[in-house]
Amino acid sequence: MAQLTYRDAVAAGMAQEMRRDKNVVFLGEDVAAAGGVFKTTVGLLDEFGPSRVRDTPISEQAILGAAMGAAMTGLRPIAEIMFSDFFAVCWDIVVNEIAKARYMTDGQVTLPLVIKSGNGGGARFGAQHSQSVENWAMAVPGLKIVAPAFPADVKGLMAAAIRDNDPVLFFEQKSLYATKGEVPDGEHYVPLGKANVVREGSDVTIVALALMVPRALKAADILKEQHGIDATVIDLRSLVPLDTQTILREVAKTGRLVTVEENPRLCGWGAEISSIVAEELFWDLDGPIVRITTPHVPLAAANNLEDEQLPNADKIVAGVRRLVD
Amino acid sequence: MDVLMPQLGETVAEGTVANWHKKVGDAVAVDEILFDVETDKVSMEVPSLAAGVITKILVPAGTTVEVGTVVAVIESGAAASAQPPAQAAAPAPSPAPARQAAPATPSATAEAPPPGWYAAMPPSMSGAAEQYTPRAASASAPAKAETAHSAPPIQRGEMRLSPAVRRLVAEYRVDLAAVSGSGRNGRITRRNVVDFIEAMKSRPAPAAADSAPRASAPPAAPPHQSAPAARAPSSAPAHAPAAPSGGVLPFTRIRKLTAEHMVRSKATSPHVLQAVEVDFFRVDQVRKSVRDAFKAKHGHSLTYLPFIAHAVCEALQDFPNLNSSVHGDSLVLHEHVNLAIAVDLGAEGLVAPVIRQAEKLSVAQLAGAINDVSSRARNGRLKPDDFANGTYTLSNSGTFGTLITAPVINQPQVAILSIDGVRKKPVVIETSEGDAIAIRPVGILAQSFDHRAVDGAYSAAFLDRVRKLLENGHWLVEA
Amino acid sequence: MTPVAAARSPQSSINPETRLKLYRTMQECRMLEKRAYDLFMQNLIKGTSHLALGQEAVAAGFGTAMQPGDYTFCTYRGHNHTLVRGVTMTQILGELMGNSSGLMRGKGGSMHLTSVKHNMLGSYAIIGAHLTIANGAAWSAQYRGTDQVAVCFFGDGTTNIGAFHEALNFAVIWKLPIVFVCENNLYMEYTSIHDVTAVEHPAADRASAYGLEPVLIDGNDVDVVYRTALRALDLARKGGGPSLIEAETYRHGGHSRADPGKYRPDEEVKEWLNKDPLPRYRNRLLQMGIGEAELQGIDDETKAAVDEATETAKNAPPPPLELANKDVWADGGSAWRN
Repeated sequence: MAQLTYRDAVAAGMAQEMRRDKNVVFLGEDVAAAGGVFKTTVGLLDEFGPSRVRDTPISEQAILGAAMGAAMTGLRPIAEIMFSDFFAVCWDIVVNEIAKARYMTDGQVTLPLVIKSGNGGGARFGAQHSQSVENWAMAVPGLKIVAPAFPADVKGLMAAAIRDNDPVLFFEQKSLYATKGEVPDGEHYVPLGKANVVREGSDVTIVALALMVPRALKAADILKEQHGIDATVIDLRSLVPLDTQTILREVAKTGRLVTVEENPRLCGWGAEISSIVAEELFWDLDGPIVRITTPHVPLAAANNLEDEQLPNADKIVAGVRRLVD
Repeated sequence: MDVLMPQLGETVAEGTVANWHKKVGDAVAVDEILFDVETDKVSMEVPSLAAGVITKILVPAGTTVEVGTVVAVIESGAAASAQPPAQAAAPAPSPAPARQAAPATPSATAEAPPPGWYAAMPPSMSGAAEQYTPRAASASAPAKAETAHSAPPIQRGEMRLSPAVRRLVAEYRVDLAAVSGSGRNGRITRRNVVDFIEAMKSRPAPAAADSAPRASAPPAAPPHQSAPAARAPSSAPAHAPAAPSGGVLPFTRIRKLTAEHMVRSKATSPHVLQAVEVDFFRVDQVRKSVRDAFKAKHGHSLTYLPFIAHAVCEALQDFPNLNSSVHGDSLVLHEHVNLAIAVDLGAEGLVAPVIRQAEKLSVAQLAGAINDVSSRARNGRLKPDDFANGTYTLSNSGTFGTLITAPVINQPQVAILSIDGVRKKPVVIETSEGDAIAIRPVGILAQSFDHRAVDGAYSAAFLDRVRKLLENGHWLVEA
Repeated sequence: MTPVAAARSPQSSINPETRLKLYRTMQECRMLEKRAYDLFMQNLIKGTSHLALGQEAVAAGFGTAMQPGDYTFCTYRGHNHTLVRGVTMTQILGELMGNSSGLMRGKGGSMHLTSVKHNMLGSYAIIGAHLTIANGAAWSAQYRGTDQVAVCFFGDGTTNIGAFHEALNFAVIWKLPIVFVCENNLYMEYTSIHDVTAVEHPAADRASAYGLEPVLIDGNDVDVVYRTALRALDLARKGGGPSLIEAETYRHGGHSRADPGKYRPDEEVKEWLNKDPLPRYRNRLLQMGIGEAELQGIDDETKAAVDEATETAKNAPPPPLELANKDVWADGGSAWRN
């Protein structure tokens, strides 16, 4: 076991796979020589050289188009979109080309590519560099989506994403880059589509993703110590494929579901899970399903304003307490 | 006291006063409905928590205010809180069900609940989930027979049953009135129901080798209530001791079996209720004429019941389809009328011992047989044979003067007759000199029939025959 | 702005066999596309269809010059580009008719004709996107060290969208083995390209912005196209990086089947019909001494092939319904949850 930061785990996962398979290549803005603006790809250029680790101009469409063309012709490319907000600049390539190519060509095209991106807020970058956009991607058929919360999962899910033969969007949470966690030595692989029950409780099931997971865990401690409420916390990890069975199993035990989502309210990923649970677990629910989300506004830049907007442990505690009687 | 917009639900922050039932200056009793409130989730009535006079209405109808807002003010007068009207507060949806005709299963060895069918029923279809028993109706009845049931005030939160609670209630046949809620505003939570079920499972069943009911304690009230003459006394119930408020009453064996039978009966037979109003004038004349002699000779009074039994047996000769059982796609007509008489044993539940071949008995013989089975039932001396092969059931509900009752058919029969209170009423009689008003003893006979077996016209004709036999019969009763 | 030097057509000679191949290829394109037109009029082809009648020389010229390992990327006006890579007529007509004989069994339709096994890596319906994707295929060849070249066809309208500029810049700085071919048929959908472009020659006048040689050719002279293609492919194969070629041409019909093309001036239409690549080349071949009978033979064979393909495609059953939810993922399925 080693203690790695979240950002180092990104590079570790990529390096593990690039060692394993020569066809894995990587391109993005400032990713090679500079090791990435968030320092998530430090060391890769040195180890794998300039033909496998390439810097690009500021050309998001060209970056993703190149990834797609390379994936169509035998390579396993990883492309970086620096801030996930920038997906909007190249969304055509993602949703009209990458997501649909296999389907339209009757299975002739396979796209084993990964797009990694710095997602979410908490870093005071302002509205155009802070949004959580995983729900945008979830709305598009043909994209797999992961968003790890802890360094071990960063490395393991990166490996799985690279080995997967379908397009995978790998959302890194920017505010988590500096966090540390235990990462197993040696080859590490965490399959896509498996949620992780990180805390077992009996009164309420909290489903969270990425930055919201450690906040939910903190809230669970407060709930237990100060309010006698024992919460299960599920780290979803993977939006598509979705580990519906784990969610259903855990919510059936407690009868109560709370989602904690960093994305803006409307059509956030929690809405889909709420819908599934309301439909398939209706007769096990002991109270209404509650979604705790960022409000439906752009994120502000000032410390206190952004903190007010993003769900935090206190807000999670309050939301759970309103639900659990 | 201030009347507040009540807590309407965890995520509901405001409600709309839909309309006021009272105006300024009106007197209001505890539990009387003050106003209707609507939210986007639900619409409900809000009762008064105090008695007094409404001095202010602060929120007019049609206005939306936050939960907790003062909407009106009641000044409590010197009078103590009013005696709640007998049934106004309890939201009893239909005439009190299920005090009729629920015997232990006929066969002595049948202790297990009916096999599998209930588990196969989806909770959403299960009637039991909808048969929410308001807390007022059963366990906390006072011991005295004469006083009407008083309903404890209903807290709004208690009515809120989550899907999980509904499902468990349906699956485990939980009597919600026996479950106390520890949730917000007294809400019954899933945990409450689960704990209740667990407690029930671990409770040992009362010993009963055969299905003959045994009184575990002497009935709280004397077996023969001396009822006013106008009432048929034969099934005066001994009430269960009052439960501590908020307590949990696990089912006794009898209660459990009764519950199972009731549910199964309703699920098996499409029940239709029909009633006739009977003028017991002639019957009364006969009764009065032989009363003292009869009592002296037989040791018990001659009540309405044997007359009714006699009329029923006679009418069934001409309407044999009501004395039958449904077997698959056929109606099996029974040769004899084995008349079951429902007896309420109070704490021990309901039993319906059978008078065999009742069609051969006279009124006096019927009276004797009825008296015999009733007292043996109360003394716990019924034998398995006493329960076997009933073909039609009489249920005497009239002890408390009820108007009408819709009884539950005693399977595998296809009909049951409820006899409710007989009381003096003005009726129109036709005389040779024209119509006149007379004071007569009148009571309703209400039959629940299984619509698989017969249709309404058949049942109506039968009831008409029974009525005519009672009203025009020439009774000859030997004292 | 200095006038762009039109590329001089290299005088290397083309052998007769190749010329016949060029002729046959153009004829196949023409007859097949015409058949598509007819089938659309008979309501056997639904949806929309973008025909390249009149633009056969570009497809035939490049298709003949390219090697089997080279990659084709084109737009939704891609029936010809698909045919020249070796995809059968039946598969093309079947896809247009949306039945199980189609190249994608009806999953993609006219605008997305793709045959990976022929290295025909797709027809694309969003303007500009495929230039960036073609770069990726070229990068892959470069990375793997093969001598494959990606050839990317697009229209004049594409030169004004962002992806065009990103792709050109990207290709040049990575020195990718790619040939960008702009088929300038003078109209961006219904609008004259001159009205909406800052420069006169939409592709050739932008070449220097990316450090590329401006190449402007007569896109209706198949010999010129062929030679220009060989030169650009050769440059890319040797590691010389990308080319940008503007081939002037004209479409006989409207932008799509729904468009009768009435916005074009009659004299212009007449002028370009006179430069129809097929009769023009026919004449040239006759002048060179190739017999009329041989050419007629090609015409007849082609017609027969088109007729046979039409019958086969017409009689094919509709695609099986279970195809509707297949092949979102590599495992053939579409499940997003367990």
